[in-house]
Amino acid sequence: MQETDQDQPSIARRALSGGVLLAVGLVMLSIAWSYPVGKLTQMGPGFIPRVVAILICALALAIILIDIRAPSAEREGRMHWRGLIFVSAAVVIFGVLVDVVGLIPSMFLAVAVSMFADDHAKPLTVLIYASLATLGGWLLFLVALELPIPAFWR
Amino acid sequence: MIDQFLIGLGVVLQPNILMYAFIGVFIGQLIGVLPGIGAITAISLLLPVTFYLDATTSMIMLAGIYYGSQYGGSIASILLNLPGTPSSVVTCLEGYPLAQNHRAGLALFVAAFSSFVGGMVGVAILVLAAIPMTIIALRFGAPEYAMLVILGLLAASLIGTGSQIRSFAMVVLGIALGLVGADATTGYFRFVAMPELADGISLVSLAMGLFGVSEIIRNASYRSPPGPALSIKMRDVIPTRAEARSLGFPILRGSAIGSFFGALPGTGAAIASFMAYAMERRVSRTPNKFGTGHLPGLAAPESANNAAAQTGFIPTLTLGIPGDAVMALIIGALILNGIIPGPRLMVDQPDLFWGVIASFFVGNIILLMINIPLIRFWVLLLRIPYQKLYPVIIVMICVGVYSHRTSVTDVMLTLAFGVLGYLMKNYRFEPAPVLLGFVLGPLLEDNFRRTMLLYSGDFTIFLTRPISAVLVACSTLLILFAIWSSIAVRRKPDRSPT
Repeated sequence: MQETDQDQPSIARRALSGGVLLAVGLVMLSIAWSYPVGKLTQMGPGFIPRVVAILICALALAIILIDIRAPSAEREGRMHWRGLIFVSAAVVIFGVLVDVVGLIPSMFLAVAVSMFADDHAKPLTVLIYASLATLGGWLLFLVALELPIPAFWR
Repeated sequence: MIDQFLIGLGVVLQPNILMYAFIGVFIGQLIGVLPGIGAITAISLLLPVTFYLDATTSMIMLAGIYYGSQYGGSIASILLNLPGTPSSVVTCLEGYPLAQNHRAGLALFVAAFSSFVGGMVGVAILVLAAIPMTIIALRFGAPEYAMLVILGLLAASLIGTGSQIRSFAMVVLGIALGLVGADATTGYFRFVAMPELADGISLVSLAMGLFGVSEIIRNASYRSPPGPALSIKMRDVIPTRAEARSLGFPILRGSAIGSFFGALPGTGAAIASFMAYAMERRVSRTPNKFGTGHLPGLAAPESANNAAAQTGFIPTLTLGIPGDAVMALIIGALILNGIIPGPRLMVDQPDLFWGVIASFFVGNIILLMINIPLIRFWVLLLRIPYQKLYPVIIVMICVGVYSHRTSVTDVMLTLAFGVLGYLMKNYRFEPAPVLLGFVLGPLLEDNFRRTMLLYSGDFTIFLTRPISAVLVACSTLLILFAIWSSIAVRRKPDRSPT
């Protein structure tokens, strides 16, 4: 029992991924508990959900055990915060705006915002590129494919 | 079966269908070349487009993307040492050294030719196997289907890379996601948190989120290496007579291995190419030449992954059971078009069934013709930085998902699945089994419930019906093999000195 490897993650960290899965299984089980189960020969809609939820919990417990007992814990991947934030923002902006202001402005903003997920993005390049991409999108979605989405808010 | 194949050929050679076959393989080759975009992303991007096409045309186009990407994947591997698709990882091992020795043209030609032969062998086996497989499958009842789905799900999680228990947990999570919505038998709403979920989670949202959005989050700041400067002269492309002779058996062995692993549910082109490379190295008289640009080591895996891409359609088309995540998407596209895949497909929709198979034959010829002559164009594509691509992909995902059901909820769900897929991969959970579980889960529930109803809850029915018993035996063997191999792995570190 030597403390040779100090950068080994703590037990709580090691159990994190399995723990989240266990939580998912438990939430699912608690929701499915009120569904009618029926009998094996005449299964109700709640039968399979309950089985699946219990299976998820069992697998999650097994994963937690394996991760805690593993001699050298595998570290999780690096977080790409910049990508996560700007890509999410772009999709949310598109989703919120498309019903309100139409396809063209929301496409423009989605492209522009998403480009900042790359840490080398410069405002002028973004402006030019987003305009070009919006023009391409207008040609593809509204002119060529004739999708029934209004271009601008009316 | 020759007659049926010719009928299929007649379907494909109609100009408008031929055009979509060409579009499919062209896009496939294109996204295969571009690292960072895979067949799954491209097919989920085009899923909404298929609602405007009929089922045959959609299938031909989506399938073309899949096997076309196998051709394209080798180009980035050879020129940049960057595999464009998972199945062209081993292509780097021999292809990149060849390119560094100024023999890139030769490597590209051998890869394209091996791919072509492998693809054609795969198509031939698909044509031969289609009718016998369908005859067997027509005798399938609910117990057989339930067991087959279980076998496929087990194979997908137990064979392949990564932790087996983690993959299996993801399959079960996929089944759980498939439960959302109205129960097919009783109409009872399950896990319907918002009214928009009453029809269930949309396959388009799930696939685009897990594979499209999550990869963009991960790669947005990734700098691709500068594109290769390349000048290929025609006389460098053709192999010498001795080189050509050394390729015959590796290509045949690769095609055979690929055909086998492709047809097995749960394994696919990536595993086939690894197996073919390992096999070639074992039978070679000069194993020390591997890794230095040895042509047989390039030809065998390239023929294997293309053969596997074709025979992968055997379980998909005859049983309606997808072998991997890409096939699950293609099955999903069929279902969205109102066609129920399964053994009845060949009987009820012969034009679709044989048309799709014949399109593989035509598609492989198109791919061979556009591969080498357009090599300058593909090299040009490799110079497009990812930073210019991903904003366009995001918009295509957003518009594609939104236009599918004119639903903002679907757009937000796509983002949620994108973040989920990103976090999953960071914590060593693979997203592909989720998609497989999602598509196969409803099939499993339906057939299991029907079995229990028909045979009054008697579990021995799975063992007393012969086909079902064989499937149970296969599943048991698979589980035993998985347990044995995990014990074998765990013993190794114990032997090492501490």
